[in-house]
Amino acid sequence: METITLAMAKGRTAQSTIELLKTVNIQFQDFHEKSRKLIFYNEDHTIKLLFVKAVDVPTYVEKGAADIGIAGKDNILESKADVYEMLDLQIGKCQFSIAGKNSEQFGQQQNIVVASKYPNLTERHFAKKGQTVDIVKLNGSVELAPLIGLADYIADIVETGTTLRENGLSVIEKVEDISTRLIVNKASFATKSAEIQDFIKKIDRAMR
Amino acid sequence: MQPYVYDKENSSKIEDFQIREVLISKLRKRFETYGYKQIQTSVFEAYDVYANLSGTVNKDDMIKVIDSSGKVLVLRPDVTIPITRMEALNKQPLQEEKRYFYILDVFRQLSAQNGQKEHTQAGIEYLGKSTPEVDAEVIMLAVHLLKDLNFANFKIEIGHAGFTKELISNLSLSNGQQEQLESYIQSKNLAELEAFLADLPIKTEWKQAIKQIPMMYGRPDEVIKQVKAIPIPGPLEQELENLIKLWKVLEAYEISDNVVLNLGLINNMDYYTGIIFQGYVENTGRPVLMGGRYDQLGVQYDKHIPAIGFAAEVDVLLQAVIQQGLITKKREIRDFIIFYDKNKQKEALTTAFELRTKDYRVLTFSADEEIDLDGRYELFFTSTGNELRSGRQVRPFSNTADLVRILEEMKEGS
Repeated sequence: METITLAMAKGRTAQSTIELLKTVNIQFQDFHEKSRKLIFYNEDHTIKLLFVKAVDVPTYVEKGAADIGIAGKDNILESKADVYEMLDLQIGKCQFSIAGKNSEQFGQQQNIVVASKYPNLTERHFAKKGQTVDIVKLNGSVELAPLIGLADYIADIVETGTTLRENGLSVIEKVEDISTRLIVNKASFATKSAEIQDFIKKIDRAMR
Repeated sequence: MQPYVYDKENSSKIEDFQIREVLISKLRKRFETYGYKQIQTSVFEAYDVYANLSGTVNKDDMIKVIDSSGKVLVLRPDVTIPITRMEALNKQPLQEEKRYFYILDVFRQLSAQNGQKEHTQAGIEYLGKSTPEVDAEVIMLAVHLLKDLNFANFKIEIGHAGFTKELISNLSLSNGQQEQLESYIQSKNLAELEAFLADLPIKTEWKQAIKQIPMMYGRPDEVIKQVKAIPIPGPLEQELENLIKLWKVLEAYEISDNVVLNLGLINNMDYYTGIIFQGYVENTGRPVLMGGRYDQLGVQYDKHIPAIGFAAEVDVLLQAVIQQGLITKKREIRDFIIFYDKNKQKEALTTAFELRTKDYRVLTFSADEEIDLDGRYELFFTSTGNELRSGRQVRPFSNTADLVRILEEMKEGS
């Protein structure tokens, strides 16, 4: 059996995924949430688990540093990674949306300024609609941008909308449903076909 | 660009280049053993040649230059197209099949590759014949190349350019929808594919068929069974027959372990018409080689030229080979190092010339230079006489003929 490498981000997604794996008897013994370790193995060393930053998961998988990745659809779309996207894990559900202070003129406006952590995704969306936009790339607290005049709108993932509401913003347009996906490196799928398909089947079964 | 590479040798760029040369010479030798002749195409080509061809190289990806008369040229963005064009300009029908290979740089500007604008392709084109035997031989050649480079784990994925196209052609989708559907199929995104199909006003049996395309993947005989179970449009039946014949020949070549069928494979180069394929090696995300059958490309130049070809990405292969330590760089051995006193300079340099003519690698230094180099033999030309040193042996000699005789002796002795 060849070892397969699995990349995911620490946090809620990892927690849910590890719970899911436990139900099909894949256990990472020395893993606990407080651990600072970045690499874990399962009991029979057939799976190597890497913890990387969430936005980097698609990159690790695309370049072949990991065979399989657990990543949010938002990060997959943003990275434009050329990978197989084989399962929807049905967790971490939210929406990639455009939000702002008021929505009245949104549709007709040209040359609007949009702040986002997802410049590629935002650009593609507006290009498809034929709206010219200036994108301001931010790394966090995107909601602040329209409040202080840095941008007209924001493009971000919205789960409950609480942060938006508390800052006087509301969703204007829903762009894309986001959830956690299982992605696979194309070369690994060809060269480690049996191991990877077996792993996917197990997770698929665990979800049902 | 430096994609993911674990550089355990800490090798410098120059050493990588030596490995690259070994790699290229292996590819060249293999192409030749299958009867291919090396050719070259022009670096500068007219922009119009590509602008007028549909579904080939993206116009924005090409690197354009303007010559003194104001004509727009592009730097060679592709090799297959100029070869086909060259063949098509010869109006005589193709009498016999032609086998060409090339090792050339192609120039494209892809945003996905961190601004890297050139990469080396080593590829072949087989013109003049369209049979499963030819297809199989070309795939065998691809397998052979990867075996030559000692990859332990590699796969050639074989798909069909017409398969998905034909199956979704009667869905009357808009261009945007078709792109979306193709991207779901290509990324094996079953969840979203299913949701997308659910909204389409088409027969359930078609939905069922399309839903299976991404997972039509694996051993060819099993996949073919899967395909036979779904309703397929008439034109595909002949193609399916050809796939079965191809599989038979691949079995005869005994490479069935190295190939898989992947009918969800879609190539963005529109000129492919029959089988398409790509090669993957372990731990490298991108395909190391890509190709397929393109019988219709010649038609764009008013000539029917059945053809198949592929190109290996030399830079991607090089990274994989280095990462996996498959080709080790040759240890640099200098045959002779010559040290000479000033008054013996002429004699020393004449000897160096004579030795180099005999294909020895020779370095010369003046005796007062401080040199820390190892050679197989060291020669000293001093006022007191000439000496050959090798390990612990020290042998005096008078001239080059004498030296050659001593070398012969030492060779016989060892």
